[in-house]
Amino acid sequence: MKKVLILLISLVPFLSWSQIKYGDVTGAVGQREGSLSVMYTCAWQLGAKKKFEIGIAGRFTTYLGQNQYYITAPAKLTSGSTGPLVIFKENIAANIDTFLIQSPQVNALNIAIHLGYQVSTKISVGFNIDALGFSFGSKKSGSYINGVFGQQEQAKPTAFNALLISDNDLGSLNSELFLKYQLKDNWGIKSGLQFLFTEYTTDTEVQQTPEPNSRFRDKSLLFAFGLYKNF
Amino acid sequence: MKKLSILIFVLALGCGVEEVTPTTPVDDNFMTGMATKINMGVIMGVNHTVSGTATIYEQDGKYTLVLDPFQSQNGPDLKVYLSKDIGAKTFIRLGVLKSTTGKQSYALPANINLSEYPYAHIWCEAFSVEFARAMLN
Repeated sequence: MKKVLILLISLVPFLSWSQIKYGDVTGAVGQREGSLSVMYTCAWQLGAKKKFEIGIAGRFTTYLGQNQYYITAPAKLTSGSTGPLVIFKENIAANIDTFLIQSPQVNALNIAIHLGYQVSTKISVGFNIDALGFSFGSKKSGSYINGVFGQQEQAKPTAFNALLISDNDLGSLNSELFLKYQLKDNWGIKSGLQFLFTEYTTDTEVQQTPEPNSRFRDKSLLFAFGLYKNF
Repeated sequence: MKKLSILIFVLALGCGVEEVTPTTPVDDNFMTGMATKINMGVIMGVNHTVSGTATIYEQDGKYTLVLDPFQSQNGPDLKVYLSKDIGAKTFIRLGVLKSTTGKQSYALPANINLSEYPYAHIWCEAFSVEFARAMLN
């Protein structure tokens, strides 16, 4: 009992916290693709010096691309299994087909997880990742390509988004690794890398081997720049 | 905000670097005299300047599409397709267009029913734009 009490007392500095809220607008660009996202974050600063941040956020992301190659999405096909160890497995190239969309456009509204660290009074670094939400967008035509054979097909953004593990993910999910610099009392700039998954579901299960599939995913690594404001 | 989003997307679209088709004339030296002509068609440009003849030959049980003569306007990611329909909704990719000019041959996959694929296309795959087609008779 005495040891537990000592442990709890020693944790007190780390359990002190204060809440902060801020919003940001971020644009991100890559090769023939880009995104614009708006995010509202509610975070708690932890630790004796309140350098650590953990929080929850709501994020709306809109993605626009040109001639993007989506590939087979389900982990069962790309990695041969769906367990947590899928992250360590190599892709099975023979199971991966392509769906080329001329003008993909996906909108996603997600709940996100935020982690941050205050490096100095003006500089902080952080990471956020979408966890759960839904996507919408208009139907698009694309070319399903399986080796030398191909066919035109229609597809819509996969409606439901969920962060699982690696290719087990479902739908369209955004994540950022960023650095923030405070310019004024309540606002500043942020810059970093955005890793954005977008996913389409075809009208029919165009992929038939090794098993029927209608989900195709694009993984985009984008350079991001944005503005944030503390509330 | 609207201006910012437009700027971002313009920048994104401008970041693309497209590979274009080689312009050095090719000569695949496919011996047409040693093969049997199965069908052929005149290549007509579709909103692009392309001309020539597409012919399918059979030799030793294998089919080959030969473009000869052939001349095409250049473009990115040009491919040679055979298709079941005029809009290439169902197609076979025979390969990357080797050059914008010269005699060139493309092997067809085994075990296809040629009568189901009466169209040959020059197709910009990345942009889903048809450059030319030939109806094979």
